[in-house]
Amino acid sequence: MAESPAFESPVVRSYESSSGGPLMLTDASATTKWLVRAETGGAAADRMDAPFGSSRTAGGGAFVMGSRPGEWIVTGPADAVAEVVAGLDGVDSSEFVTALDWTHGRALFLVTGTDAPRMLEKVCSLDWSDAMTPNGAVASASVAKVTCDIARYDGDSAPTYMIFCDRSFGQYLFDALIDAGDEFGLAVGLPNG
Amino acid sequence: MLLVPCPNCGPRNSADLRYGGESHARPDPATATPQQWRGYLYLRDNPAGWLRETWYCRSGCRRWFTLERNTATNEFRTPPMPGDKRGGKA
Repeated sequence: MAESPAFESPVVRSYESSSGGPLMLTDASATTKWLVRAETGGAAADRMDAPFGSSRTAGGGAFVMGSRPGEWIVTGPADAVAEVVAGLDGVDSSEFVTALDWTHGRALFLVTGTDAPRMLEKVCSLDWSDAMTPNGAVASASVAKVTCDIARYDGDSAPTYMIFCDRSFGQYLFDALIDAGDEFGLAVGLPNG
Repeated sequence: MLLVPCPNCGPRNSADLRYGGESHARPDPATATPQQWRGYLYLRDNPAGWLRETWYCRSGCRRWFTLERNTATNEFRTPPMPGDKRGGKA
């Protein structure tokens, strides 16, 4: 896997950041992200082991999302993501599989807090209740009119939603999420990833 | 709001999809007459009733799919597949 150049976040404006709060928005765009495409139901799909709409945690903390039929997003620590992607080389199959480093092409924002579902309901038409989108759920939908991939990954904390969008929409979407979260006391966290 | 039943994503706001228009069988380019091409490209049935349509789930699964919609009531149902007597309600 080739070494990536220095990352430049799509969020270029400065914000007063906070280290904690009941509802947090964090720019995690620097996190490694890969896109994998393969046949639905093929050997590579079995290896990814995350059907459309679901996710799993792989070794080393990599997060595998079934973002669309025959399409997966792998994100997390660079070494762990590389291991998941490299595992596709061992698939004994003649099917066509592509793996693309999306790190510089996609923005990734984290929305964390118990009010996160209520905030998202303002900008997205999906049902964000626990019954419909439990921990680990993955969906693609319009968020503030931007097509996004969204995964819920709570870990040990409050509900956390990972929102991926095209890099060029990153600054707009970040501002739109700040606007949507304002009534819930949203604070902007320090960038991570 | 029109709720469109995407076969992959479930019910979605029609704003999340792109309407592909009436679903027509494409004529064979090797044998089609100009009249058949004109009919395929430009002529639409536009019934007040059940109509087979294509939709593109642009914000969700990014797949094209076919549904039948009653243009008078906006009720949806899945179209009949080969061998089916009648498609079930979506």
